[in-house]
Amino acid sequence: MANYSHPEVLVETDWVKQNLGQAGIKLIEIDVDTKGYDAGHIPGAVGFNWQTQLQDQVRRDLISKEAFEKLLGDAGISPGDTVILYGDNNNWFAAYGFWLFKIYGHKDVRLMNGGRVKWLNESDKELTTERPKIVPTQYRASGPDLSLRALLPEVLRLQPGQTCNLVDVRSPDEFTGKVIAPPGMTETAQRGGHIPGAKGIPWSTAVNADGTFKSADDLHRIYFQEKGVDAKRDTIAYCRIGERSSHTWFVLKYLLGLNNVKNYDGSWTEYGSIVGAPIEKS
Amino acid sequence: MNHKIKVYENVFEMLPSEENPSPLVRINKLNPRAEFPLYAKLEWMNPFGSVKDRAAWALLNDLESRGELANGRGLVEPTSGNTGISLAAMARARGHRLLAVVPNKVPLEKKVLLKIAGADLEVVSDELCPAPGLGDGSINLAKTHAKASAKKYAMPNQYENDKNWEAHYQTTGPEIWKQTEGKITHLFVTLGTCGTVTGIARFLREKKPAVKVIAVQPTEGHDVPGLRNVSQLSVSKLFDASLVDDILEVDFRLAYTRAMELCQNEGLLAGPSSGLVFTGALEIVARDQQGFGVMIFPDNIFKYTSNMIKHIPGLGSGNQP
Repeated sequence: MANYSHPEVLVETDWVKQNLGQAGIKLIEIDVDTKGYDAGHIPGAVGFNWQTQLQDQVRRDLISKEAFEKLLGDAGISPGDTVILYGDNNNWFAAYGFWLFKIYGHKDVRLMNGGRVKWLNESDKELTTERPKIVPTQYRASGPDLSLRALLPEVLRLQPGQTCNLVDVRSPDEFTGKVIAPPGMTETAQRGGHIPGAKGIPWSTAVNADGTFKSADDLHRIYFQEKGVDAKRDTIAYCRIGERSSHTWFVLKYLLGLNNVKNYDGSWTEYGSIVGAPIEKS
Repeated sequence: MNHKIKVYENVFEMLPSEENPSPLVRINKLNPRAEFPLYAKLEWMNPFGSVKDRAAWALLNDLESRGELANGRGLVEPTSGNTGISLAAMARARGHRLLAVVPNKVPLEKKVLLKIAGADLEVVSDELCPAPGLGDGSINLAKTHAKASAKKYAMPNQYENDKNWEAHYQTTGPEIWKQTEGKITHLFVTLGTCGTVTGIARFLREKKPAVKVIAVQPTEGHDVPGLRNVSQLSVSKLFDASLVDDILEVDFRLAYTRAMELCQNEGLLAGPSSGLVFTGALEIVARDQQGFGVMIFPDNIFKYTSNMIKHIPGLGSGNQP
């Protein structure tokens, strides 16, 4: 039976419960809709809003290194802390946070398997509305490590299938262009479809019914044998705005151990609006 | 209380029961087969306006009788509207508060009605992408409140509480049996929490095992508040597949056009979920040719004018001087 390549980046809810309040272990809930955090969170957890705190509020980009340092300093995080991330929507935004933490060089960051829904539905796990008392720090980041991030020029130069794996993690209807975005979503593009040569492997392929990651054996079989991801090639994952693809990026890089995996966070909202960019619809 | 002359000491005495059933009304112009009469059970005639009166009353009574609402503790419940409206009005009349957690796609009329009925409202973004583990935003947020603020809120949880289906086992089922004098051969229902189908079907199957139970569902990605497609059903613990003979999937837009036809041809001011269940019933009438059908019409059209404007061409124009 295979194991995850980097099991140290994943913790279970029980582990989190046993380590609540331990010095050097910091919990952060990252949500797209922070109503969940406000209504109740894991005792001691700080809440980050993906839209307003992890995104630059002027240009479309990640927050700058300085903004990241301030965010973590204000949250009382030190570079040597073990940071546990979890969040809503099956950890999509927590996975994005994990990617961002790695870009800015935080050494020990981990995801809580199953996210806030798993914790919520376990009867022995507590939630609180109380916000933690924070002692601010002077956080110093490193990086950015841009080897984790694909930008548009690189994507436009790709020859998927020949030189790299390009993984589109959106739903089948988004992949075929039947819809440009899931119903009700405000971030959209001018055209529907996918980048030519991309393999459609929805993010949910990687998870069980309770939102936890599938076993290493199942992930190996699905991604390498059934879906044809070539473990020897470089890989880029994308979705619509870069959050679901962070989840698959985490799976490919840390659970399956691929060497060079990038998240294309511009994703379909960028690519699907480029004049003249080639698009496939089937 | 006197059901004959309809004089009551309080609104709760008007709630439906075997002695005071919601009406069954036959479909005339729109049903082509005399050998397969279809009767609509008009649940909007219940005092708080929908089929949800039954479950809401059972859930509230249960919490009260177990002392869960003592010392000013209120309720929190995820709802697409009807349960919340019934529960809020009932709870306020009994001296309790309700926090209703509502998905954003619920029509504006229902959100406003919830506030008028006395609910505190929390609106959550609709789910981004149906997928395993994601759950339902409103259910999870209500659960979060109930867990993190247990002193403040009790959560009836209509999706998991047996009182929901038991209410239909005790009222709707016996009403239909008595009203049809046991002649019912087909029951037509929509699926949401599944309390209605499970409760009625359990009762009717005990009386007459051959009764066919037909569930009608909107197509995936639908826009019919309160209903669930089979892909969304895992949120309800009350669904019992062994009680359902057929699950029909109907283009959700037909819910709106059929509702309009029911209004304009039968004089039944039926809402979209009634339109959906009627569409499914017509399919079975054509298939089975003979029978005696009862359709549960959950609520009327009054809460859905904004949705109707979205789906019926022409309704939104010509309304200004």
